[in-house]
Amino acid sequence: MGIVRSTLALALGLAVASLAQAADVAQVKRGEYLARAADCMACHTAEGGAPFAGGLPIHSPFGTIYGSNITPDKQYGIGNYTADEFFAAVTEGKRKDGANLYPAMPYTSYHLIKREDSDAILAYLMTVPPINRPAPQTALSFPFNVRLGLTGWNMLYGKSVQLQPTEGKSPAWQRGQYMVEVMGHCGECHTPRNPIGALQQDQRLSGGLLGGYLAPSLLAQDLADRGWTQPDLTTFLKHGISAQGSMFNEMFPVVHHSTQHLQDADLAAMATYLLGDQPPPAKQIKAVALEQMSDSAKRGHQQYLNVCAGCHGVDGKGKPHIAVAMDGNTVLRQSDSRNLVKAIRDGIREQQFTGFERMQPMPGFADKLDDQQVTDMVNYLRQAWGGLPGDLTVQQLAELKAE
Amino acid sequence: MANRPLQLTLNGQPVGPVEVPDDLAMIDYLHEHQNLTGSRLGCGQGICHACVVIVDNPDGTSEEVRTCITGAHYFEGKKVRTIEGHAKQDEAGDLTLNPIQQKFVDLFAFQCSYCAPGFVNAATVLVETAQRQPLKKSEVEDRIEASLGHHICRCTGYVRYYDATRTVLNDLGLVKEG
Repeated sequence: MGIVRSTLALALGLAVASLAQAADVAQVKRGEYLARAADCMACHTAEGGAPFAGGLPIHSPFGTIYGSNITPDKQYGIGNYTADEFFAAVTEGKRKDGANLYPAMPYTSYHLIKREDSDAILAYLMTVPPINRPAPQTALSFPFNVRLGLTGWNMLYGKSVQLQPTEGKSPAWQRGQYMVEVMGHCGECHTPRNPIGALQQDQRLSGGLLGGYLAPSLLAQDLADRGWTQPDLTTFLKHGISAQGSMFNEMFPVVHHSTQHLQDADLAAMATYLLGDQPPPAKQIKAVALEQMSDSAKRGHQQYLNVCAGCHGVDGKGKPHIAVAMDGNTVLRQSDSRNLVKAIRDGIREQQFTGFERMQPMPGFADKLDDQQVTDMVNYLRQAWGGLPGDLTVQQLAELKAE
Repeated sequence: MANRPLQLTLNGQPVGPVEVPDDLAMIDYLHEHQNLTGSRLGCGQGICHACVVIVDNPDGTSEEVRTCITGAHYFEGKKVRTIEGHAKQDEAGDLTLNPIQQKFVDLFAFQCSYCAPGFVNAATVLVETAQRQPLKKSEVEDRIEASLGHHICRCTGYVRYYDATRTVLNDLGLVKEG
């Protein structure tokens, strides 16, 4: 009888233990997914470095900030963080030792992360290989190097991202809001910042500047004006490429590390949130005949034929796996043409997207074309496929270049 | 598409103005209008570099430009050299190859030769750059890699091309200690 009893107890004990283990596995799996959604890797992994070991330089107007080591290493990583401490770091920007994190860590968005999601992310991070290596020290100039000084900033701006009322909104919209505003922290780039680096919430998602590039407006009407529909936006997030062009510059790591790994339903939810439950119709561009274009754009047409059409096509339709189409390209439709100017002058690196899709490197033309030629080319692109006037001046180009 | 006049200097000879289509690719202009068929159309998308020609800039520098993805009118007013322009011909009709061409032949640098015009032009640009500013010994390998590495060769690999280029740079006294 005693043997039977202890066998039963052992079996029960094992069952409880394996249940707990199954729960752990599920939590770690969920945490991995959420870490993708929050795109922790983009900032906490250096180019070519070990995952989550930190070291990526993040250039800000206040100096260079380095992503920290968030592997489970006890010396240099977060191996000694409790779930409470991790939650405080993620949502309040508080380090284990009480020091303030710089708001390059997007706690202004993450402060709305649910506790169970934070716990799951920590559970996942505790399973990645610990890397016993310090990330480079962030050294900002005075007064920005005084972390204590951020206490006041945090009181004013630490919780600046707030969710919109969900009344009358679809479940997809509600899920999309959490994925876009909190996990995806899209507003950290796509919302303009004030002179002391705080998000201007009254202009949320209306576009921000980042390293001389425009993180364009994600407001529904602006997206629709640039040709976006919900299915296309979902495709863009999933594959990094759609009829509207491809992700480049700072947006490329987003698809690479984050959005391509997300579930279709979540991506569709993000598109639903951004474009709304009743999305505005995508604007159609009326073709403009060459004769109707500005003199500058007419000259630009020849520039386009000279150095662009070889890959983007005389008709602007692009070439598969070589170069994206200009016809329908969302970048051409931005009335602020700085991204177009930057792409033409600096070029774009070779890019790999999901599956076997890739695009060739685009050469930069900064030393090949003078300002007048770039201006003419931009005006042609604006008029031919952007639905915009071809009225950019050389002076305006110089300003866009300088920023 | 409309035609427009094109005028340029090709292998030292003034050409044009001639009317050519405004969207004509330079490689087609060389092949079809000038009967200069030495520049090779490989990938047609700017990757293999078999089609490159040399453009001589007004400041005395020279650079390679891909003709498969560049329109003929980009070369308006420019001085262009193609693979046909390097060898010198004497009155008897005998050819003297340029140092790079000769060394590529001597060292069997290429096999099928499809990529060779591009390699000749790229290596010639490097030699001319070194003639203006000799290379430090320590940077020679990197400079050769930067000049030739993006050209695609699928027969011999790059060892003999690199060897030949290195030899020419040394033989012409274009490498200094450092």
